[in-house]
Amino acid sequence: MLADSSFWIVQILNSLQLSMLLFLLSVGLTVIFGLMNFVNLAHGSLYALGALVGFTIARATQSMWAAYLLAPVIVTAIGAVLYMLLIDRLRSAGPMKQVLVTFGLIFVLLDVQKYVWGTDQLGVTSGVPFSGSIEILGQIYPAYRLFIIAVGVAVFALLYLLLEHTRLGAEVRAGVDDPETASCLGVNVERTFFVVFLIGCALAGLAGVVAMPEFSAEAGMGVAILVPTLVVVVVGGLGSLRGALAGSLLIGTTLTFGTVFVPQFAGIIMYALLVAVLLVRPAGLFPARG
Amino acid sequence: MAHVLQFRHALALVALAALLIFWTQAGYFGMEILAEIAVFAILAMSLDLAAGYAGLVSLGHAALFGFGAYMFALFTVLWGWPASLAVVLATLATGAIALIVGAVVTRVQGVFFIVITLAIGEMGYEFFFKNRALGGDDGLSGISRLDLSAIGVDLNDPGIFALFLIVVAAITYLLLVRLLASPYGAVLTGLHDNPGRMRALGLPVRTYQTSIFAFSGALAGFAGTLSAQHTQFITPNLLHWTTSGEVLVMVILGGLGTLVGPVIGAVVLTLLRHELSNVTDYWGFWLGFFLILIVLGGKNGIVGWLAAGWNALRGARPDDDQAADEPAEGEEASDAAR
Amino acid sequence: MLRADKLCKAFGALQVTRDVSLDIPQGARHAIIGPNGAGKTTLFNLLAGELAPDAGAILIDDRDITHLPPNRRARLGLSRSFQKNNLFPRQSVQDNLLLADIAARGYGYRFWPRLAARKDAYGKAATIAGQIGLIDDMQRGVAELSYGAQRQLEVGLALMAEPKVLLLDEPTSGMSPEETGRMLRLIDDLPRSLTVVMIEHDMDLVFNHADRITVLNYGEVLMEGQPEEVRGSDAVQETYLGGEAE
Repeated sequence: MLADSSFWIVQILNSLQLSMLLFLLSVGLTVIFGLMNFVNLAHGSLYALGALVGFTIARATQSMWAAYLLAPVIVTAIGAVLYMLLIDRLRSAGPMKQVLVTFGLIFVLLDVQKYVWGTDQLGVTSGVPFSGSIEILGQIYPAYRLFIIAVGVAVFALLYLLLEHTRLGAEVRAGVDDPETASCLGVNVERTFFVVFLIGCALAGLAGVVAMPEFSAEAGMGVAILVPTLVVVVVGGLGSLRGALAGSLLIGTTLTFGTVFVPQFAGIIMYALLVAVLLVRPAGLFPARG
Repeated sequence: MAHVLQFRHALALVALAALLIFWTQAGYFGMEILAEIAVFAILAMSLDLAAGYAGLVSLGHAALFGFGAYMFALFTVLWGWPASLAVVLATLATGAIALIVGAVVTRVQGVFFIVITLAIGEMGYEFFFKNRALGGDDGLSGISRLDLSAIGVDLNDPGIFALFLIVVAAITYLLLVRLLASPYGAVLTGLHDNPGRMRALGLPVRTYQTSIFAFSGALAGFAGTLSAQHTQFITPNLLHWTTSGEVLVMVILGGLGTLVGPVIGAVVLTLLRHELSNVTDYWGFWLGFFLILIVLGGKNGIVGWLAAGWNALRGARPDDDQAADEPAEGEEASDAAR
Repeated sequence: MLRADKLCKAFGALQVTRDVSLDIPQGARHAIIGPNGAGKTTLFNLLAGELAPDAGAILIDDRDITHLPPNRRARLGLSRSFQKNNLFPRQSVQDNLLLADIAARGYGYRFWPRLAARKDAYGKAATIAGQIGLIDDMQRGVAELSYGAQRQLEVGLALMAEPKVLLLDEPTSGMSPEETGRMLRLIDDLPRSLTVVMIEHDMDLVFNHADRITVLNYGEVLMEGQPEEVRGSDAVQETYLGGEAE
């Protein structure tokens, strides 16, 4: 199978598609961390929420496009409520307590999702765009997975433009670089953080709803994706878009090929990679702060 | 400080007395709960050493607990070794794994330390979940208990076994009290409060952090061998993040860095789980809810509340039991030192 | 005793330490002064090992310590205080000093004997507490101490390490005139065998308490000499006036 070029094409595309999902999730986490030294462990739960809400919308409206539009909005709204109810309140208590609260949130959100949607795998079959297959280099490949890759690339391009060419982007970069100086220069770090947090929620919701038709939705999917996402953030380096992308590609590729070649040890290989990166570059591959 | 320690030891005595009284009254089901409490008390104390004393908050502690249980099962069920040898070797093996993991995770600081421990714990879970040789997601059964018949003790009797575990937990508590009164114990609190200053004073900080992570891991593994003997059947769920979360809630609910707090937390949470599981399927919801509530509550768990109440009764000024934990400070200090 | 040889350090394009050399004999009272942004703290962090130099060497007692981490340097007799109080805030004064003793003498690995049984450590803590004027506050929590007393404890922790060279980072920063006087007396009373290097922003403070002064400006050594020479130097006056005017 190794000599078969179609095998490689399929697996490389699979890697890219997983990498893009990881990127959508990790980019929000990493920038929030860079800005506020705060990690939202419930980020994966918002991904699951995106998939589940998307499922409900798609079933009700028979349209995935409605789900793509509405699910991220609803997840963002829920994120905003959580922020105002819990995270903002802990601002002065230090990052450790914030992380513990978001750890508690994982439990709460998981059971809420089980209560509302049950524990079955939920999938939609009708109304899904790009549901056919496409031929690439003589190889049949599900078109929907290419769509996932395209969404990831588009989001990366958008974020890049946002960061490099808007006032918000400049504020974020200044805040990540040196929060104290940034606030001295009149950047409202609190507000910037809130906006970035909401963008992170929206991207998590988007990732969930985009993944749902291909991988189905279930309550436990949030934690399953959280672990590689955290590894991506640490491997990529804190607070940087480039790091999130590089980390996603590295971990997505490792997991995909690891699962194909040594299914039992894919997780262990990811761990070995993490260890290797931490040993050589303790701050990750592309840390925003040097 | 002396009266703080006396207050905590008094609490520990009350807890032990309560467990023993409960033991004289308990039926079969009660004995099972008592045994579970004792196992979790040891596990929670081991986490408190790392998290409460040394400031290394781990969200993957159950992975070490489960690893110890699996090693015990592997040695006894699959390889046929005697249980006594297996307890020792499984404990040591878990300590060795924790040493390796600790050497890596102590390279990252503060919040990212807890993030990485969660990720590594989940990988451990996945490893046992997928490992067919160790039963995969079906787990392993047919685990036997220590054979103490030579001294006339039959651990297969649920009541005797529960009492045995309570005694082991009490001995563990006493040994840890002694450990914490040593220079090493003082270093742990120094690492918690201000690792950067400890380094500037001459302490090789990461070596010590790794050592306490390994010791705490070995103790968690020991608790795992007891858990395997208690249930005589293990699944990868022992390593799952939800178990880690449960232990962490025990520690925080009882009071971080108080040693007796985690024991009280283990008692309260185990009882609560058994009570609530009759009423609701959503135990995790309540667990997360409690965790958020306690963290938002500010005081240092049950021991913090009791100390505050006790001080109010005596009319004394509030002492440091209440604000006994402020991990953020040590973290900032260590960041500043880098 | 303590030697620095052509130390260089840059953060990105910014060269904050440039070819700085120091040769400080045993028993010296050496002050490093300079206006804000002159690179004093960076130099200190290079000496203490919190930062690694890009080039150059640091030697203590002719032993090269350039590549040793802070804890190894401390064990070799290089002890420092911090500009911002850097204590163990939940502990008593006595416990702070005991922690310093454990770290400095490296018996933290002993997990069975009781710390309470180490009479030598308690004795040493009492001696140092007397030296820094906190003997009556031994059982008090650090958080209860006045700011000035915390600054004194800051120096006390560094002294617990029984250093050969004591690095003091702006020991009087943020203090009232009265507290400053107490701190300077404390420094004057240190045993003469001890080598003391201190950073100070306020040049007038150090003239009576240092026997040699290095003036830094823009990361470079502007001049080094005895207090009178430095005071008389036009270049120094200019730098300081220029620096203050900023």
